[in-house]
This record gives sequence, structure tokens and C-alpha cells, in this order.
Amino acid sequence: MRKPTDRNSPWLAATGCIASVLVALIIQASPTRLVDGLTIMPTWTLMAIFLWANVRPHFMPPIAVFAIGLTQDLLTGAPMGVWALAYLVSISVFRFRGEDGMPRDLPPVLLRFGATLLLAHGIAFAAGSFALEQMADLQPLVIEIVASILMFPLPAYLVLRRRRSRGSGFIGG
Amino acid sequence: MASRRSTRHDGDQGVRFSRTLFIALLVVSGALIAFDRPASRSAPFASFRAGFTDVSAPLLDLVAQPLRAIKNIGPYWRRQGELAQENARLRQQLIEARYWEDLAYRQRDRIEVYEDALDVESAAIEDRIGAWTVADPRGPFVRARLIGRGSEAGIRDGYPVINLYGLVGRVYETGRRSARVLLLTDLNSRVPVMADRSNARAILVGDNSEFPRLDYVGRAPDIEPGDRIVSSGDDGILPRGLPVGEAVATRDGGWRVRLYSDQAPVDFVWVWPFRRVTPPDQEVEAEIPATEGPLIADQLVIEPAADSSGEASSLGEDADQGAGNGAGDDVAASDGTATEDNR
Repeated sequence: MRKPTDRNSPWLAATGCIASVLVALIIQASPTRLVDGLTIMPTWTLMAIFLWANVRPHFMPPIAVFAIGLTQDLLTGAPMGVWALAYLVSISVFRFRGEDGMPRDLPPVLLRFGATLLLAHGIAFAAGSFALEQMADLQPLVIEIVASILMFPLPAYLVLRRRRSRGSGFIGG
Repeated sequence: MASRRSTRHDGDQGVRFSRTLFIALLVVSGALIAFDRPASRSAPFASFRAGFTDVSAPLLDLVAQPLRAIKNIGPYWRRQGELAQENARLRQQLIEARYWEDLAYRQRDRIEVYEDALDVESAAIEDRIGAWTVADPRGPFVRARLIGRGSEAGIRDGYPVINLYGLVGRVYETGRRSARVLLLTDLNSRVPVMADRSNARAILVGDNSEFPRLDYVGRAPDIEPGDRIVSSGDDGILPRGLPVGEAVATRDGGWRVRLYSDQAPVDFVWVWPFRRVTPPDQEVEAEIPATEGPLIADQLVIEPAADSSGEASSLGEDADQGAGNGAGDDVAASDGTATEDNR
């Protein structure tokens, strides 16, 4: 019988999922510009959603993706629904499907994440422009995309490494 | 390569997004985007957003505290070599500031004398409300800060927000314990300003760049590079004379403003509980219902001798006031025309 504190416990995985998404959301909204020279912010939230949606799909159903996007909208002051829609569509289109799930090699994961990122930001740009009734600012979106592409290999590598070492899955897998 | 693939046997395979739920969420997202537009946001949406920021502000404040602790590390190391020079410059500025301080006290006394003589009650200068920035999202859709104080501290929508150096923006979404500040650089920000030297009017328009644009300056504006730009107070929302920045000429012949508030991180800010001074003509307008003025004037014309002289006299005064209001409207209209002409 599994103990609640067992590393293989699904509760631990669920806690990890919630904590990582929460931290990503808070970092996304935190006043990092206070720190000198730190002005570029990758989309940590999308990284967390993408990894969990592929490693543990049960933890990232559409309603969770929607709720996370909506929370980000509210925290960042964006019109409600923009990031909710962007994450929902992009994750549903580009998540790994089938019995094999997410590959354990980095390149296909990076490619799939890049496509997810581009689609999510494209939708966010269109939806945000519609909500603002004028063209949204493209520059921060491009910076976010570049920063995310540069930063994503690190968490993806850690996740894949952990999956390989544990044989059957991610935390608690 | 199959061995390098996941071997999930715990029921993860075959996980699919429910089509019905997915479509329902898409519809909800679309509806939210359509109904939560900043330009036409309804009160329930605004109060929901304010309530959410109230709940999240303490958590965000908790996260912001360690960031505040390390915020000066970068500038500290970078500026070690410049400290002596900066110290000398600050001493010089202090000497100059003492002269301006004396001048300000003298002007304040003069204004008090004038106000007593004219029996004018100017807006009470209330204490500024200090607040820490608890969230600073750099999103593509809005340039705003979340501050950790709200209506409980006396903050209301529209109040100007300043930092040590100048105007930062204004409050546009107020919760009980938090408020969102629309920055001058935001796409939706429009602030009437003027050049301190020449009183040349303009509208400061945010375009998400670090240097907001000066619009409606006219064909030959009396603005020079380096001119101090301050709020003009023409809208009645912001007080007159708040320092905004310095005029910068662009290559295409336009004007932009280098914001004073950018000289330091927008970390600790003050919210100014500014209440507009109602002009005398509008005070009269507020006392008399709008429909009464013309009606009384008509009665005077139609029935000149219907009432006693005393009543006619009072009606005549009202009629004058109504005419005064009309004149005031004309003035306002001509102002508006002038603004359009300037454009």
C-alpha cells in the first residue's frame, strides 16, 4: 500500500502540477522589472501547461487549461479570455496524442512546443487586438516567444531526464 | 526507438479532450473577450476583476518583497564609481531646491490671501497615499501595475499616481485592497499636457513604447527639445503641473516625451487623491436643473409683467445665469474647436 508521502504517489504529482502552475503564474505577474536588467519574461505558464498536458494529461484537462489562462488574464490585467482561448486551442492542437505520449527525446518536444508557442501567441495577438479594438503591441509578444524558446530546453530537459530515470513517467509516474 | 518512448500503462493513453466541453469553453472564451473589452467594460466585469486582484494582491505582495530586497543590487554596483560626482551634483541641486522651497512657501501664502479675498475654496490638498507595486506584468495588451492599496485606503478611479520623479499614470481599476494603475505608456492612455516654458498644449498618447507620443501639437508648436512637459489639467481629471517628462524631437518631425518616472523603477508610488475644483459657472449649472433656465427665460419673454417685481428680478438673475451658462458652453465649444484646429 502506498504511503501518502511516497514519491510515486499521484498526490505528489498533483501537488507538483498545481505548485508549478501557480509559481509560473505568479512569476508571470511578479514585478521583475524592479530588478535591474531583468525585463524579459518567458511564458512560464505555457511551459508548465505544455509539459503537464503531455506528461500527465489527466492533470491538464481543458477546463484546467482554460482556468489557468483566465487566471493569467486577470493577474496581468489583459482582457478576460485572451490567454484562456490561446492556451486552450494551442494545447488541444499540438499536445502529443496516442499511447506513446510525449517522446523522451528533446528535439521533437522542442519542435512541438515551438509550434504551440507560435499558435498561442498568434491567437492571443488576434484576440487581444479584437478586445482592444486596435492592434496589440507585437514587440512584447515576439520577445516572449524568443525568451520562451531560449528557456524551454532547460525545464524540458529536466522533465525528460526524470522520466527516463524513473522508467514509467514523471513525478509520481 | 520504441524503447525510448513512454510506456504508460496507467490509463494515460487515450486521454482526449471532451469535444462538448472544449467547444463550450471556446464559446465562453469568445464571450469573455467580446464583453470584457477595456473600452466598454461593464460594472459586473470590473468589480469581478477588482475582487480577483484583491484576493491575489497579498500573495503577489509576498512574492514581490524578496524582489524589492535585491532591486538595488544592480544599480549599486554599477554606480559605485559615480557616487562622488553624483553627491556633488545633489548638493548643488539641494541649494537650488532651497530657493524654490522658499518661493513655494511665498506663493502659497499669496494664494491663500487671494483665495480669501475672492472667497474661493480650492481643493483641499490631502495626504498622498503611498503604495507598493505588487505586480508588474509586461504583457502585450496592457501596461499596468497592480498596487497593494485600494478603496479602503481612499483610492478611487482616476486618481493620478506619481513616483519620486514624476507622473506614472492613473488608477483605473480599484478594489478594496488593491488597485490597477494604467501607465502613461499604455495604448489606452491619453493625458492632456503642456510645455512648461510656452504653455503649448498637446495630448500625451501612449503607444506601448518607452517614449509616449505628443499628439495635437499643431503645425508649428512652440515646443523645443528638452522642454519640461507637465500635465495641463485641461481634462479636470489630473491636476495641473504634475511633472511628466522632457520633450524629445523625432526624426519624422514629431514629438515624444522621455518620462521622468522612468528614472527609477516604479516600485513605491504615491496616489494623489485629487479632487477637481469646480469652475464657478459649473457650480451654478449644478444648482439649477438644466431644463429650468430656458423655461424661465421664455416665461420672461412671454409674460413680462405677470409677477411682482421682486420675483421678476429673481427670474432675471436666473436668466442671466442661464445666459452665462450658455456663454460658458460657447467658450467650451470654442476651446474644443481650437483643439481641433491645432490638430
